[in-house]
Amino acid sequence: MAAHGTAERQGMTNSMLGFILFLASEVMFFGGLFAAYFIARADAPAWPPPLTPEQIAEGVHLELEVLLPAISTGILVLSSVTMQYAVWQIQKGNQGGMLWGLFISLALGIVFLAAQLYDYTQLHFRADDTIYGTTFYTLTGFHGAHVAGGALFIAVVTVRALGGQFTAENHEAVEASSMYWHFVDVVWIALFTVLYIIK
Amino acid sequence: MLGMPLRRRLRLLVATVTAALLALLATGTASAIQPGGITDEARLMNDLFWIVTIAGLIVFGLVGAALVYAMIRYRRQNDELPPQFHGGGKIEAAMVGVPVLIVIGLFTISMIILVQIDDKAEDEALTIDVTGFQFSWQFAYNLNDLGTNTDPNAEGTIAVIGTPANDPILYMPVDEPVEFLLKSNDVIHSFYVKDFLYKLDLIPGRVNSFTVTARETGDFSAQCAELCGTNHALMRFIVRVVERDEFDAWVAAEAARQLGDGALVSASGTQGD
Amino acid sequence: MATVAVPQLSGYHRPAVLDWIMTVDHKRLGILYLYFTLFFFAVGGILALLVRTQLAVADNSFVGNDAYNQIFTMHASAMLFLFIIPVWAGFGNYLVPLQIGAADMAFPRINALSFWMLPPAGILMFAGFIVDGGAADGGWTAYSPLAQQTGVGMDMWIIAVIVLGMSSTIGAANFLVTMFRMRAPGMTMFRMPIFCWTMLVTALLQLLATPVLAAALVMLFIDRNYGGQFFDPNGGGNVVLWQNVFWFYSHPAVYIMILPGMGIVSEILPVFSRKPLFGYKAFVFATIGIGGLGFSVWAHHMFTTGSVLLPFFGFMTFMIGVPTGVKIFNWLGTLWGGSISFPTPMLFAIGFVSMFLIGGINGTYSAAVPVDFALHDTYFVVAHIHYVLFGGSVFAVFGGLYYWFPKIWGRQLNERLGKLHFVLMFVGFNVAFFPMHMLGLDGMPRRIAVYADSAGWEALNMLSTGGAFLIAVSMIPFLIAVVMAFMRPKDQPDDPWEANTLEWATTSPPPDYNFDSLPPVRSERPLFDARHSGEEQGH
Repeated sequence: MAAHGTAERQGMTNSMLGFILFLASEVMFFGGLFAAYFIARADAPAWPPPLTPEQIAEGVHLELEVLLPAISTGILVLSSVTMQYAVWQIQKGNQGGMLWGLFISLALGIVFLAAQLYDYTQLHFRADDTIYGTTFYTLTGFHGAHVAGGALFIAVVTVRALGGQFTAENHEAVEASSMYWHFVDVVWIALFTVLYIIK
Repeated sequence: MLGMPLRRRLRLLVATVTAALLALLATGTASAIQPGGITDEARLMNDLFWIVTIAGLIVFGLVGAALVYAMIRYRRQNDELPPQFHGGGKIEAAMVGVPVLIVIGLFTISMIILVQIDDKAEDEALTIDVTGFQFSWQFAYNLNDLGTNTDPNAEGTIAVIGTPANDPILYMPVDEPVEFLLKSNDVIHSFYVKDFLYKLDLIPGRVNSFTVTARETGDFSAQCAELCGTNHALMRFIVRVVERDEFDAWVAAEAARQLGDGALVSASGTQGD
Repeated sequence: MATVAVPQLSGYHRPAVLDWIMTVDHKRLGILYLYFTLFFFAVGGILALLVRTQLAVADNSFVGNDAYNQIFTMHASAMLFLFIIPVWAGFGNYLVPLQIGAADMAFPRINALSFWMLPPAGILMFAGFIVDGGAADGGWTAYSPLAQQTGVGMDMWIIAVIVLGMSSTIGAANFLVTMFRMRAPGMTMFRMPIFCWTMLVTALLQLLATPVLAAALVMLFIDRNYGGQFFDPNGGGNVVLWQNVFWFYSHPAVYIMILPGMGIVSEILPVFSRKPLFGYKAFVFATIGIGGLGFSVWAHHMFTTGSVLLPFFGFMTFMIGVPTGVKIFNWLGTLWGGSISFPTPMLFAIGFVSMFLIGGINGTYSAAVPVDFALHDTYFVVAHIHYVLFGGSVFAVFGGLYYWFPKIWGRQLNERLGKLHFVLMFVGFNVAFFPMHMLGLDGMPRRIAVYADSAGWEALNMLSTGGAFLIAVSMIPFLIAVVMAFMRPKDQPDDPWEANTLEWATTSPPPDYNFDSLPPVRSERPLFDARHSGEEQGH
């Protein structure tokens, strides 16, 4: 759908430029959520905020375990590497190598999502337990949704790859899904740092 | 031929409307804000208002005159193509330079005045706790924080609470600094007294404060300036600025009515000084 | 079955309605955008008349307080989200590909998607009026915690605005790719028509600011429906947070609403002055400057919250007056020394310049922080936004409609009716909105459903209401002119105005895929160059 009569210019295709602009808007969306988190946290007299007696009686406590999310972070970073591997392989025309890269990335993405869901069940607070809970679930929830979307994207690319649709010259979808995956990865690293590491 | 009179009429109309607007702007603003507010702070803001207005009128007059002049002087009279002028470095530099100078001038003046307004009052200032709620106000006075005539041993607070149908009256003494502490427990309201030329929001989870010194006595109508729900428009109140002894008498009477005899003694002692 | 279908197809024509629904042609989508947005301009206008009727006299009970809050909230929401922002997408859709000499937008199907997100969002937003609790009534600013208290109409409003935001975000990406990559040979960035430049900066603002609004609305939705504590101080949340995130979008949004209007005016003024735009590059840089500074002035809506850095935001707000001032000089310089004629589009363009001038001057009052303490949230601010968005944007919309009507529909709007329309609207506008300055100075807060007789605001309010109805009356000659035009054949030549830009190089209306051939592009006025190639060599 790119060219419509007018000669397209050299370099990046229209679709790729459009996709990068779309990613820029995604960055701003997460920027908005992060900004909200920072403003709320900077203005709060105490962090985590104090709980009401009822919340304490219910067993709420605002704490996060770092170990499992740290492993998840490793998994997601690794999947970014394998995704980039897939891109490099198809750039050399190696369809088999690309397929391996895609399979492994997809599998690691699904493992990450499963680990996230398991982690949710282990927490002792909910989204309505102070702004701590609200920001935690909103940020990780929207990130998780984007990981799921990215995994779906990779799955579609993988199916197309199995059909032999990509070559060394023509593999835009692989590059786009890889860029999206890196974006999701970078957002997670920022989230992990802000939510789990900075006390 | 037929077009000419219409065009002339239009030009005349544009010129008339422009002139009328200019006159309206001048007289309208003059009459509306001429009283200039009743506090020291308001008078400073009034000065700044006039500085901005005069700057604005000069800009409007010059640009408006140039616009009308160009429309009349350069109207199309023949098919000849006018000189194709694209602009040039010097004129474009002036295009940037002039607004920059105006803007920096106005900014500097407004910051000087802002600093003077923000001068916080000393601790001795009378403090009034203002709480906005849907849809009226509560004004609370702590008996040991009544400004110049405070009796440090007095205890208790007196409060005026209004309803949407019954506007509360905020009493304050003239010629001394009064500090307002603004709080809200439901939604955002805004404490707006037109004759202070000032407003400040009441924000849940925050306490905002400001200080003014009123220089005129009398009743001044005021109301909430931030949309706060169904009866936002009815969230009105009256600021009653009175002489100090009248204020003390009011405090004594209210203390007797609200707190009984114990507080009355203490508060009336204040009044006696 | 397939074997018989093929011969049948050759003579088959889709019904016209289906043709319009399924179209991916930028011109048809542009026209759909214009119809849609003008419909909501009418809806928003009717709501405005209800507001003015209620305020005409003191202690009025024409509509109740609750209904009033819904009416003015939906007036603003319709005018901003369903009229002004998408109307530029309409003009942009129709004109940007034509002006840069392209056959269509970069992504025609995504373009169709952008448009078709609007009608459901508009219906959803207005369906609030029929649900329990009524439509959104927290103001278009939806300040929290007030926005937590209202009924399900508020949730519908939130979802609608998110959908509208997605539409304008993907639309923005589409415009950007189109302008970056599909310009005709010879058309460098600095030969692009000025309207395209303003659409480009607008698209950048939309792409980068709208997602932040989406984030804010998502937070509000979570607070309302899932026990979130973002804006609830009892749970450690922060009330002012909403205002920070909301205005981070909504101030740039003001430029989203006005910049393309400036672009339209900057197309019209040179054509009817028969001169190039004075200081084209200065205008482009001023536009970019407004776009950039637009991201650093959001807190000037929050001076009275007691929680913003007053000197910084005061300074930035003054600074944004500089590129705005530059543009006034651009327009004045364009008229200066010209050969000026005054057909209807030119009247609206000059109306824009004069009203926007007032809108710029009365805006400086709010940049002077101590003055803003007095004027914030009063009718002075209402006057200001209407001088910018009505005196500015709406005048530009009508200027653009009169100017491009022959191109889009192949027919001319009646000049006499057009002039009558302009005069009535110009007078009505000033009568409606100028008194609001005085009301604001006299202490009348905005968004109040009633005022007391003793306040002394009745005379000016009555005057303002009269002006509002005069604006409504001014639409009658316009509508008659449109009906008359549609009853005539399409008789317009390619270039009825002796214009400058490429859209006038093709037929009126243009054919599918727009151009058979393009004139060479050696400046920002390729048609002027073609017309005068004999007399004047490359300037």
